[in-house]
Amino acid sequence: MARAVVRPTHDSAVIRTGAARPLLRRLRLADYLFLLPALIFVATTMLYPVYSNLRMSLYDVSMMTFMSGNAPFVGLANYQTLVSDPAFRHAFVLSFLFTAGSLFFQFTIGFALALFFNRPFPGNGLLRALLLLAWLLPAVVSGSLFRWMLDGDYGVLNFALVQLDLLDDGRYWLIDPGTALAGTILANVWVGVPFNMALLLAGLGGIPTVLYEAARVDGASSFQQFRSLTLPLMRPVSLSVLLLGLIYTFKVFDLIYVMTKGGPVDATTTLPIYTYKLTFEFFRFGHGATAATLLLLGLVVVALLYLWASRREEMA
Amino acid sequence: MSQALTRWRREGYGSTLIGSLVVLVFLFPVFWMVSTSLKAPAGIFATPPALIPSPLVFDAYLDAVFGDPDVVRAIGTSLVISTGAMLLTLALAAPAAYGLARLRLPGGALVLLLLLISQLLPSIVIAGPLFVLFTRLHLVNSYLGLILADTTLTLPFAVIVLRPFFLAVPSDLEAAALVDGATRWGSFFRITLPLVRGGLITVAAFSFLFAWGEFVFALSLTTGTEYQPVTVALNRLIGQYGTQWNSLMAISTTVALPIIAVFAGLQRFIVGGLTAGATKE
Repeated sequence: MARAVVRPTHDSAVIRTGAARPLLRRLRLADYLFLLPALIFVATTMLYPVYSNLRMSLYDVSMMTFMSGNAPFVGLANYQTLVSDPAFRHAFVLSFLFTAGSLFFQFTIGFALALFFNRPFPGNGLLRALLLLAWLLPAVVSGSLFRWMLDGDYGVLNFALVQLDLLDDGRYWLIDPGTALAGTILANVWVGVPFNMALLLAGLGGIPTVLYEAARVDGASSFQQFRSLTLPLMRPVSLSVLLLGLIYTFKVFDLIYVMTKGGPVDATTTLPIYTYKLTFEFFRFGHGATAATLLLLGLVVVALLYLWASRREEMA
Repeated sequence: MSQALTRWRREGYGSTLIGSLVVLVFLFPVFWMVSTSLKAPAGIFATPPALIPSPLVFDAYLDAVFGDPDVVRAIGTSLVISTGAMLLTLALAAPAAYGLARLRLPGGALVLLLLLISQLLPSIVIAGPLFVLFTRLHLVNSYLGLILADTTLTLPFAVIVLRPFFLAVPSDLEAAALVDGATRWGSFFRITLPLVRGGLITVAAFSFLFAWGEFVFALSLTTGTEYQPVTVALNRLIGQYGTQWNSLMAISTTVALPIIAVFAGLQRFIVGGLTAGATKE
């Protein structure tokens, strides 16, 4: 069989000799076979759906035209409909609030914990690993768990807040349209804190300790060290973590769906929930595909920003 | 006495104490889930709520988990799908990651970028088209359909995590095998794969955990209870059980149990995998 002696492709002398060429090409093809199964899989189960959404977003696909298969081509009309649809705009605003609220608390709490766990002490590794459990739990589990804790009548959160005199009376967190989104944000922050902490800890670990030693020799207080060393040095990592968090938070579906199904009324119908409802509840397939495409488009833009930020970080 | 105190300070046991408190408070919801699941119905509505149920009652598990054939079957379904997704992920990701790491194929960087982007693909975006495609292929309401769908979540992550492991294997080892007449695939299976065992365990654990907790595909690609994974069963029962929180928490705890078990057993692989997978290469 193919001997590897001809493999070093970077040796251009080998490539130039005519006899080795066909054998080399055969080897190359055989090498691509390692990638082929994964590529076929990605193409059929991931790229095809994206293309399929894009195509369907240009047709007026409803329940009827979906069945008959003769949906009329409507160009960008679906996009116009959605962008001027108050429900879609509302969903976008909710997604924005959900993401902004989640990121703010996840990141600040995660950063504080990362600073704490960045110092060596006995049991450090075990304790910080235990925190990751919150992130690993299935969203359906954390969702139903927070439903219970935020319950209006017997929820433990109400009990704690009333005991601490922070509330006079229990609130129906997930039933009241004014607090439902805050309830889902609370649950999502809990899930996201360990993730932020782990990534920020990796960043903190990358700061050379000599810098702090030098600062201490110069008489800098620990607050000064934090402000003039840690914060500026963590800026690139923080940007990456926030952009990554933005992507992961903006597409959260399961946690919200389990906690509120998008309700009450549509107080927690974020963009992913609205997209799901369009396709699977209202059977407005064309509009569902359009919403999905817009959602993806937004995420790709953020993803490119993330790649750009992390590349800059690598070069820095 | 004061000497002991100084030693305590120097070795950072104060931080251990604070850290333990932080972890206790942070993981209180998990404790509360288990505690509620072991209470009698009357105990759920007690004020003030008891931290530790007394007496410990296992009725919720007997009735709502093992006494409900739908839930038992859903657990079985989830096991089949998670194991299937784990095996498919390994079978697809290991050769692909090897190919990207070792073979310096033209277009390799592009494939890597494609995988990074596809890792960000929301399930909800591909659930609709997958439903249409799977209807045509008769894969709605099937194990295979859900295994394929769940692998879309795990594959990009798996390749990204595995590639650095392959990069770390010295290529001399393979070169020697190749000179001795082994084929690329032969050396891949016999020489390289055993050397990246740590990466394979990380990927296997994560694939299993992701597929076990998966909800969007499970919800949109099944219609009856027959092929419903346990996540969808739990969501369905939230409506059905209403305020029987002990039953719901018993099912939730059961769903969480494999996660906790895998996590306890493979902790160091998972902690490493998280940062590796999230921050690319």
